[in-house]
Amino acid sequence: MNIDVDVLGVGVCAPGLADWNSLMAAFSGAELDTDQAANHGTLLSARDRRRAPSTVKLTFSAAEQACVMAGIAPDEPIAIFSTSMGDMAISDYMCQVLAESPQQLSPTRFHNSVHNAASGYWSIGVGAKGDITALCGGVDSATVGLIDALSRIGGTTKPVLVVIYDDIAVGPMRELFPANYPFCAALLLSRPTTAAALMKLRASPVRRQDSTVAMPPALAQRIEDNPAARLLPLLALIGGHTDAPITLGAEQGPGIEFRRRML
Amino acid sequence: MHITAMTLSCAAGVGLPAVRAALHAARTGLRVNDFPHCDLETWIGRVDGIEEICLDQQFTGWSCRNNQLAMLGLEQDQFMASVSSLKQRVDPTRIACIIGTTTAGISNTEAAYRGLPRGQGFQAEHLQPRVHSQHVSASFVAEVLGLDGPVLTVSTACSSSAKVFANAVRLINSGWVDAAIVGGVDSLCLSVLYGFHSLELISNHPCQPFDLNRSGLSLGEAAGFAILERHNSANSQGRLLGFGESSDAHHMASPHPDGSGARAAMQQALDSAQLQPEQISYINCHGTATPLNDRIEAAAIKQVFPKPPPAASTKAFTGHTLGAAGITESILSLLSLQEQWVPASLNCQAPEAEWADFILTAAQHMPVNYVLNNAFGFGGSNTSLLFGRA
Repeated sequence: MNIDVDVLGVGVCAPGLADWNSLMAAFSGAELDTDQAANHGTLLSARDRRRAPSTVKLTFSAAEQACVMAGIAPDEPIAIFSTSMGDMAISDYMCQVLAESPQQLSPTRFHNSVHNAASGYWSIGVGAKGDITALCGGVDSATVGLIDALSRIGGTTKPVLVVIYDDIAVGPMRELFPANYPFCAALLLSRPTTAAALMKLRASPVRRQDSTVAMPPALAQRIEDNPAARLLPLLALIGGHTDAPITLGAEQGPGIEFRRRML
Repeated sequence: MHITAMTLSCAAGVGLPAVRAALHAARTGLRVNDFPHCDLETWIGRVDGIEEICLDQQFTGWSCRNNQLAMLGLEQDQFMASVSSLKQRVDPTRIACIIGTTTAGISNTEAAYRGLPRGQGFQAEHLQPRVHSQHVSASFVAEVLGLDGPVLTVSTACSSSAKVFANAVRLINSGWVDAAIVGGVDSLCLSVLYGFHSLELISNHPCQPFDLNRSGLSLGEAAGFAILERHNSANSQGRLLGFGESSDAHHMASPHPDGSGARAAMQQALDSAQLQPEQISYINCHGTATPLNDRIEAAAIKQVFPKPPPAASTKAFTGHTLGAAGITESILSLLSLQEQWVPASLNCQAPEAEWADFILTAAQHMPVNYVLNNAFGFGGSNTSLLFGRA
C-alpha cells in the first residue's frame, strides 16, 4: 500500500531550533544556540503567552510556522496533536496537590491537565472549528500521529496539520522521562496535487525500526533525548539533507516508510 | 461498517446481561462516594470487582486500575472469543486497536506521589514507564488481544471513545487495516474527583440529567469494547452509519453558549449517513446533568431537529465515565436498536419546559431504526455518531 502526500509546510520548536531555517542550518553543521530566545510566533498574545501552559507555547509556535510556510489559514486544517506525556508540569502539580491538600486543586490547572489541552487552545486561539484531535502512542506518538494523518489524506480535501511534541518532566517523573529538551515539530500535509510543494512524499506501512540518518551530534542527541525528536530523520528528508527513504517505527503495529516521490 | 461484537462493564453492570437488567429495572449504578482517599460528598459510578482483578505476570509493566478495569471488561460477553474468531478471518497485522481514555494510569501516578517527601524520587514499585503515559490503555488492550495493526490512544476528554469509531472507519477505508477493535476505558481517580469538584461541576446527589433541579454530574468508570468490520454482516449487531466531529473554539471547560459546535457535529453525522433529521428514532444525549451543558445540548438538538425525536441521557445509570462515555453510550445505543426499546432519562422527574416534549421520563417500546449518540468534551471537542440496525 502506498499513500502519496504533499508536505506544504513545516514548523519546529525546541531549544536552539527556533524554526525550520535554524533546523536546516543545524543539519548543515551550525551550532545549536540553546540560549537563543524562543520563537513565540504571533498567534498568542503576550498576555495569553504568560498564562498559557508550556505545551501550548511549544506547539503554537511550530504549528503556526507550518501554516505560514504553507500559506494556509491556521483555522483551515484538520489538526492532529500527538504526544507521549502531555503536560508534565501540570501532572506534577496535580499529583502533588492531590497528595497533600486535594481541596486546594486549581480548577484552571485541572482543565488544562487534559491531554487535549494544547489542541484545545489551538482551536480556541485560531478559531478552528473543524475536527481537531489529541492522540498518544507512548514513545511512538510521532508514528501514531502520522498514521492517523495518512489515514485521512485520501478522504478529505482539507489540509491536515500534524503536531508532534513532548515537553520535559519536572519532579519525580524525571526519572521515568529524563528528556532535557522539549521538542515539537509540525507538518502541514495535503493530498497530492500538481501544485508545487515543499516535498512530495510516498508513504507505506513497514515493519522496521527507525532509520538513522547522518547528522551533527547535537541533533542526533535530541533523538536520544526526546521521543518527539524521532521526527528529525523525516525532517532531514523533507529538507533535502538526505535522499534515502526514512522509516519511523513502532513497538506495536506497523511503522511508516517515507520516500521522495519522483514526478 | 458493522459492529460484530461488543461488551460493556460499568457501574450499571459488569457485562451486557447485567447492564440490560439495570436499564430495564431503571436501576442506577451510582452509590455514595466510597472511593479511597476521597472525602467528597458526592455519588459515584464505581465498578465492583476491579481491585480483585490480577493481571498476568507478563503484564506487570501495565498494572494499574485502568487496566484492571480493561481486563474485567475484556473478560465479559465472550468478547475475547469474538476477537479470537476475528483473528481467524483477519490477519492480526490488519486489525487496529483504538482506545479512548482520559484517566489512563493516572491513579498510579497519584499513588506514587502519596507520602513522598518533596524532592524525593518514586519508590521502586512506582517506576512504571508505560503506566504514566496515556498510551497505557491501548497498548495493554493490543497486547492482551494479540493485535498487531496500528495501536492508537485517543484522548480528547469526554469525546475520546466516540472519536475512536471515526479513527477506525478512516483506517479501514484508507486500507491500513480490515478491522478494528475500538473501545474506551476510564477509571475513577482523585484527579477527576477533585478536579470536577474544583470546577464546581459535581453534584452532592445522584445526577439528574435534564431535570429542573439538576445540580451537576456524578463521575463514573467504565470499560467498553467493540469490533468494527466493513463486511461480515452475518455477525452484525448494528451498523455505524455516520459520524461528525467538530470543535467549539470557545473555552477549555465550557461549551459554546450558542451550541454551534454540538450542532455542527450532529449535522455532519446526519449528512455523512445521508439521513434526514426526521428519520432519527432516538438520541442518546451527552446529558451530563450540569445546568449549562444540558441546556446548551437541548437547544442545539432543537436547532438540528425541528421536531426532536425522543431523547435521553443514560448518565444516571452509569455516572459520567469521561473517556469511556463515548463507547458506553454507543453500546447502549446499539442495545436500543436491538431491543426496539429506549430507556428513560433516569432521575429526570421534572424536565424543563423547553425540552419536556422530547426528553423521556419513562422507558418506551418503539420502532428504533436510527440512533444518534452525542459526546462532547473539554477543549470544545464534539463528536456525534449515527448507528443503525444490523
